[in-house]
Amino acid sequence: MEKDFDAIVVGGGLAGLAAAYTIADAGLEVLLLERGDYSGAKNVTGGRLYLNPVREMFPDLWEKAPLERFIAHEELSIMDKERSITVRYDGAELVQAPYQSYSILRGKFDRWFAKQAEKKGVAIVNKNRVDDLIIENGKVEGVRAGGEDLTAHVVVACDGVLSLLAEKAGLRKPGVPQDHAVGFKEIIELDRTTIEDRFNLEGDEGAARLFMGEVTRGKFGGGFLYTNKESVSLGIVVGIKDLMEEPMVQAPDLLDAFKLRPEIARLIKGGETSEYSAHVIPEGGYNSLSKLYGSGILLAGDAAGFSMNIGVTVRGMEYALASGYYAAQAVIKAKEADNFESETLAVYEKLLNESFVMTDFKNFKDAPRVMENPRFFQHYPQLAGNVMKDLYEVPAGSKARIYPTVKKYLTFGEMWAMFKDFRGVKKI
Amino acid sequence: MSELMGLKAKLGLDVFKHDKEAHIKIKPGMEKDPRLKRAVWVCPAGLYSENDQGEVELTIDGCLECGTCRIACGIEVLEWNYPNGGCGVQFRFG
Amino acid sequence: MNIVVAMKQIPDLQQVRIRNRQPVFEDVPYTLGNIDKNALEAGVALKEALDAKLIVVSAGNEELEDTIKEALAAGADEAYLVIDDSLDNIASDTSATLIAAAIKKIDDVGIILFGEGSGDNYSGQVASRVAEILELPEVGYAKEIELNGQSLRVTRSLEESEELVEVELPTVITVVSEINEARIPAVTQILKAGKKPKEVVSPHELEIAIGSVQVTTLSNLAPETDRKQIVVKSVDELVKALTTEGLIGR
Ligand SMILES: Cc1cc2nc3c(=O)[nH]c(=O)nc-3n(C[C@H](O)[C@H](O)[C@H](O)COP(=O)(O)OP(=O)(O)OC[C@H]3O[C@@H](n4cnc5c(N)ncnc54)[C@H](O)[C@@H]3O)c2cc1C
Ligand code: SF4
Repeated sequence: MEKDFDAIVVGGGLAGLAAAYTIADAGLEVLLLERGDYSGAKNVTGGRLYLNPVREMFPDLWEKAPLERFIAHEELSIMDKERSITVRYDGAELVQAPYQSYSILRGKFDRWFAKQAEKKGVAIVNKNRVDDLIIENGKVEGVRAGGEDLTAHVVVACDGVLSLLAEKAGLRKPGVPQDHAVGFKEIIELDRTTIEDRFNLEGDEGAARLFMGEVTRGKFGGGFLYTNKESVSLGIVVGIKDLMEEPMVQAPDLLDAFKLRPEIARLIKGGETSEYSAHVIPEGGYNSLSKLYGSGILLAGDAAGFSMNIGVTVRGMEYALASGYYAAQAVIKAKEADNFESETLAVYEKLLNESFVMTDFKNFKDAPRVMENPRFFQHYPQLAGNVMKDLYEVPAGSKARIYPTVKKYLTFGEMWAMFKDFRGVKKI
Repeated sequence: MSELMGLKAKLGLDVFKHDKEAHIKIKPGMEKDPRLKRAVWVCPAGLYSENDQGEVELTIDGCLECGTCRIACGIEVLEWNYPNGGCGVQFRFG
Repeated sequence: MNIVVAMKQIPDLQQVRIRNRQPVFEDVPYTLGNIDKNALEAGVALKEALDAKLIVVSAGNEELEDTIKEALAAGADEAYLVIDDSLDNIASDTSATLIAAAIKKIDDVGIILFGEGSGDNYSGQVASRVAEILELPEVGYAKEIELNGQSLRVTRSLEESEELVEVELPTVITVVSEINEARIPAVTQILKAGKKPKEVVSPHELEIAIGSVQVTTLSNLAPETDRKQIVVKSVDELVKALTTEGLIGR
C-alpha cells in the first residue's frame, strides 16, 4: 500500500530527533511531529549529557552544538538537617578534550538539533499533537493528528515518559508511582563572571553538584545543581511513591527549603529565577522497560523507559539519543527488506542488546531496589553528619578521643546493618 | 539569595499558551476519591487543592505538563491528555 | 485577479522576557501577527468567492522564508518576500515603501488586505501609506467584507458605531480581529506549504535604498502615575469617590 512517509516520528525530544536525523540521513522520507511550539518547548532535563557513548553516532553534530559548559568539577554533598559533608572530585580526565560531559539546556539544544535534522531532510511539523495511532489488523499504519490521518510504514514513538502512544499500541500499561520520579527545577540567571568566581571555574569549565539526604527529607532522590553559561540549573528529583508517603511534604516546598540551605543560598545569591519547570522521570530500570517494538511501531527514549535514576544521578539523555539511533537503524533495515512487521523490527532489540544501553540497564538491574533502601537517604546522611560534627567540634571541656567518638556511632548492630546495605550496593 | 518567590510568581515566569479546553479533568464523581488527594502533595505546580467539603479541585492554568498527577493518582480518577498542539507551557530553557 | 495580503513577521511576544528592565529577544521565535492572520483568512474567503490567487507579501530578515510557511499553510498560494537582514525594526514608512514596491511587481491586483495594526508596535500606518503610494482607496477596520458584483460592501467597525461602505476594486482594506477566526492549518497543508512558489527579492532589486531610519526605543516603561491617596471608610464612600473621579456611573 502507498504510504505518505517511510517513517513518522512522534516527539521532537532527543530520542525523536536522533531517530529522524538518522533515518533522513539514509535517504528515507521521514516526518517528525512535535506538539510544542518548537523542539525543546516541552522538555526538561537536569542538565548533564555524557557524550562518550553517543559521540560516534552523530559525528557531525557536536562541534557546533549549543552545549553549555563541560563538567570539570564534581561534588557530592550528604546533607543532614543542619550540617553537610561534601566530597569533591577533580580529575585530569575531566579537563582533557574531548570532554566527557556537558551541562545543557534543552530549550536551546533541542531547537538547534531540530534545525540540523531539517537540513538532513526531515520534514518537521511543530505545534501538532498526535492524538492516536492508526492500527489495522494489528499493524500500526500511521497516526492521527489534528483530525487528519497520516500514514507511514513505521511509527517511531518518542513521545516521552508517559508515552500515551505506547499505551495505545498495547506495548505498555499506564505508569505506576514506584517506577517514576518527578524532577522540578529553576533556572537561575547569574553573570558569567559571578558563576566562574563562585564555582572556581575557568572559561567554559562547569561544575556538577549533587545532594542527598535532607534535601528530599530522606525520600528517594536528591538535589542537583549544574552551571550553565549564564545560569545555574537547580532542582530536585524525588520518587513519586515516596512523595505519596509520610512524612508528607508538598513537592514545591522541597525546592524552596533547598534554596534556603546556606550551602545553596550563597551560590545563588543575587540570581534571578527565569524559569520553573517539572517533568516525570522513568526510573524503574531494566525490569520496567516497555516492550520495545510491535508491528509497524518502535519505542525509543523515555517512552520505552530508557532512563535511570540511581539515587542522586539521573541518566536518560544518552539512552534517548542512542535508542533513537538504533530505532533508526531498524527502520533502515526494514526498508531494505521492505518488511515492517515485528519480526523485522526485532533487530532493534538486538542492536540495543549489543550496545551500552542494555549493558548498563542489565548492570544496574538491581539498582532501583537497592537504592530504595531509605537508610541511604535518611540514616547514613545523619550518621555521617554526626560523626563529622563530633570530630570537628571543640567543646568547652576536653575533646573526646577520636576512636571512641567514631565507635559511639558505629556499634556492632550498626556495622552489621551497614554490611547488609552495602552488600546490596555491590550488586550495582 | 533573593527571598523566596511564591509558586504563583514562579509559574508567572513561564510562557503559557492558552488552550480552548482543560487538558486534565477530574472524572465526575471522583472528587473525593482518596487517590486524588495525593495530587495535592505531588503536583509541582500546586494546582490541586482540597475544599471544605473534602473535594479535590484542579486549576489547570500553570500546568507544567509533567505527568506526576497521572502517575500518582491514575487514570481512573483523572482524564489526562496533553494540551492541543501549540498550547500549554513552552519552556525557553528546559 | 490577484489578492494580496501583507503580513508582518514579529517576535512571539509571549516569549519575550524582561531582564535588567530590558526586553530579551535572543532565541525568541518569529511568528505572524494575529490580526494579520485574520486578514489572510479574509483573503482566503475572497479568493474562493472570486476564484482569484492569494499572494502574501512581506518584508523582513532572513527568518522570513521560514516564518511565511505559516501563511502558505493557512491558504496563501504564493509568497513575494523582500528579505534583508537590515529589515529588522524598520520604520513604518520604509515598510510601506517596500510593500508598495513589491505589490507593483504583481499584476492584476484587485484587493490588498492588511491587519488594522501589526502585532508588535501596532502603528497602523502601513496600509494607509501603501494606499497613498499606489493611489488606491482605503477602507479601514473591516469587520465584514461582502462581494457585490465587481465591488465590495465593507462593514467598518468604528468605536461606537458601524459604517457600511461600498468600494470599487482595486482597493486597500484593513481588517479588525472580529472579522473571522483564523484557521489552524492541518499537517498536510503545512507540508504542502514548503513546496508553494516563493519569490525572494532584496530591497536593492526593488531599487529601494533602506534609509538609516530605524526605530529606536527610548523607553519602554509604563508612565508613572501618582496615587490619589484617597482614603475611604465604607463602600458608599468608595462609590462616591469613584463617581467623582468619573471612573464609574458615566
Ligand atoms: C529534572 C530532570 C533531571 C534530569 N537529569 C538528567 C541528567 O542530568 N542527565 C540525563 O542524561 N538525563 C537526565 N534526565 C532525563 C532526561 O531528561 C530524559 O531521559 C530525556 O529527556 C528523554 O528524552 P526523550 O527524547 O525520550 O523524551 P522527551 O525529551 O520527554 O521528549 C518527548 C517529546 O515528545 C513530544 N510529545 C509527547 N507526546 C506527543 C504527542 N502526542 N504528539 C506530538 N509530540 C508529543 C514532547 O513534546 C517532547 O518533545 C532528567 C530528567 C528530569 C526531568
Ligand atoms: S501534569 Fe504536573 S503540573 Fe500539571 S497538574 Fe499534573 S502534576 Fe500538576
